[in-house]
Amino acid sequence: MSVLPWLVAAWLFAIGVYGIVTSRNFIHLIGCLSVCQSSTYVLLLSIGYRWGGVVPVFYDQPVGTPAVDPVVQALVLTDIVVGATIAALLLAMVIQVGRKDDTLDPQRLRPLVREGRR
Amino acid sequence: MIPPLDLVPLPAVLPLAVAAAMLTAAHFLPARVPDAVAMLTALAVAAIAAVLAADSAQSGMLVYWFGGWTPRPGVVLGIGFGVDSASAGIAAFIGLLFAATIVFAWGYFDEVHAHFHVLMLLFLGAMEGFCLTRDLFNLFVWFEVMSVAAFALTAYHLERPSLVGALNFTVTNSLASFMMLAGIGLIYARVGALDFQALSTAVARQGADPVTIGAFCLLAAALMIKAAIVPFHFWLSDAHAVAPSPVCVIFSGAMVAVGLFALAKLAFWVFAGSAEARFLVRDCFMALGGTTAILGALMAWGQRHLKRMLAFSTIAHLGIMLAGVAALSSTGLAGLFVYIVGHGLVKGSLFMLAGVLLATRASIDELELRGLGRGLGPAGIAMTVAGLLLGGAPWGVLDAGMRLIGAAARGGTGVAVEAAIVFAAALTGGAVLRATGRIFLGLGSKPDPAEVEVPTEAEQKEADRPLWLMMTPCVALLVLALLPGHLAAKAGLAAAAGFGHEGLASAAGITAVKLSEAPPIAATLLAIAIAAFDLARDRLPPLLYRSTDRAAGPLFRGLGVLHSGLVGDYVAWICLGLGGFALALAFG
Repeated sequence: MSVLPWLVAAWLFAIGVYGIVTSRNFIHLIGCLSVCQSSTYVLLLSIGYRWGGVVPVFYDQPVGTPAVDPVVQALVLTDIVVGATIAALLLAMVIQVGRKDDTLDPQRLRPLVREGRR
Repeated sequence: MIPPLDLVPLPAVLPLAVAAAMLTAAHFLPARVPDAVAMLTALAVAAIAAVLAADSAQSGMLVYWFGGWTPRPGVVLGIGFGVDSASAGIAAFIGLLFAATIVFAWGYFDEVHAHFHVLMLLFLGAMEGFCLTRDLFNLFVWFEVMSVAAFALTAYHLERPSLVGALNFTVTNSLASFMMLAGIGLIYARVGALDFQALSTAVARQGADPVTIGAFCLLAAALMIKAAIVPFHFWLSDAHAVAPSPVCVIFSGAMVAVGLFALAKLAFWVFAGSAEARFLVRDCFMALGGTTAILGALMAWGQRHLKRMLAFSTIAHLGIMLAGVAALSSTGLAGLFVYIVGHGLVKGSLFMLAGVLLATRASIDELELRGLGRGLGPAGIAMTVAGLLLGGAPWGVLDAGMRLIGAAARGGTGVAVEAAIVFAAALTGGAVLRATGRIFLGLGSKPDPAEVEVPTEAEQKEADRPLWLMMTPCVALLVLALLPGHLAAKAGLAAAAGFGHEGLASAAGITAVKLSEAPPIAATLLAIAIAAFDLARDRLPPLLYRSTDRAAGPLFRGLGVLHSGLVGDYVAWICLGLGGFALALAFG
């Protein structure tokens, strides 16, 4: 297996996290979160890939034909569904924030930061 | 009589099915029907899980393969639920907590078509599945369903603070789920299996391997984000401070603790054969547990927002529970099980009391509430009892868990972690007792009017809910928490012996430690002393409290700066924590 997909996955995760840490806009931040998630797609697909393997549908293939691993493909599909749910939920929340406030900057939207002591 | 094996999927399936049916029929249902249906479902789940716990205690782990995909020799393709008495016991406790919470929230969420109940049932089903599954990817799916329900419940009120708290919660916990998935991918790449037992066999056969241990780091970090262990804990106080009180009961009482329960499954079962993973758990996680306990307790003591105070107190107690996992002994494991239940009962009732104050006195600020608790006598008594229990008073379930974990930690690393446990119990209990004294007895100095304004969530509650309705589930939880501790300890030790796959105890090199006999009364006395010191400030010589203020002031200001409320900072801390694991492995 080539090392390239692993590097791509690590890179995607790293730039996604960098984007989240430095973000000044929640919509941008959600985009960065999706970039992080893309790294898991790349990682999983590269793990299941077999050189010269066929699509894992054995209807018209002789038994024993090398095929790519269908388990990780199922994992990626589940992951995509999860990603869509989270992104939709996050964007819905951001829309609600936008209705109540004129800013989407995380720095200006901090929850309950003022500490009271006793 | 249905054979117990056929009952195994029901705790997860039943709430999901009822939730779907309720969503379809929501428009036609009369007002109180969703409350009743949801409560009965939760009770049914608790009863089924209790039956399973009793059965698996006798006959060993019940394994159910969905769709009849039983494993062939050498190949495990199916997804299974593996029910031992610990998993089923925790599952039963979760069902019970949900039932109490739904009673507490009776009529609280009127306006919408049973959406609250649908989300709660989804949440319940996901948590049951999370406890019972024995498949790593299935664990991820339940983790995710649980998270999504929790995100939506946090943001339920759609007010600004709750939305921002929920955004922080969602971003950090989504990152956790990605890390978990990456970890699953790595371990699958190495051993080609997802079933816990198949994984455990393969990991043990493999020996030292960087990919396997990398997978363990990612999985452990993901579960620690869910379980709010330092430095992954920041989201918890934001989310708890703004979520509706009934939701907080579930968050603090069950959700965060089952993260540690899953971590225990990984440490004691899946990765039991990996020497590096065991090093990481025993050395690093023990230290993290102690740190979390101390930091959470200090932060809890410094809060005047009651729900935030309880949230930090939950963090402190999660640190204690992590010490139970990290001891890697059956005593520590038994302590973890007992502690999850005991802490869930006490913390659940405390969040209900915060909800009662918010509903009847329209405030959550300790200073603003000073003396306003008069007329709420039962609540005051309940809060005193809960505060004493949290402070390690020698009665009941939580105390049994604390003793077991203390004994296990002493067997593992000496007295340092045990001292951290006593400190955390004393400080969190002291904070609750201080608030009780101030609110219900009007003790303590008068607040400076200039600083009374505290940022609080705009949580509207119906003040017309009768007090007895809110107090009944709260008192019920406290009564359960006061059940004899030695019985709980006995049940916990039995569950720990049968945890995971059979023969596990010898495989992982688990050693039993003798149970400590000395009651940790020191913690309780310290808690009372701390509360008394804080409430009697005006009457003490100024020199005394000024010097403590001067010593503690910079510490609290520094901690306050760290908890910045910025999601970017939280994510940076998560990366730092992961890097810390890598460093520990490289140089440990």
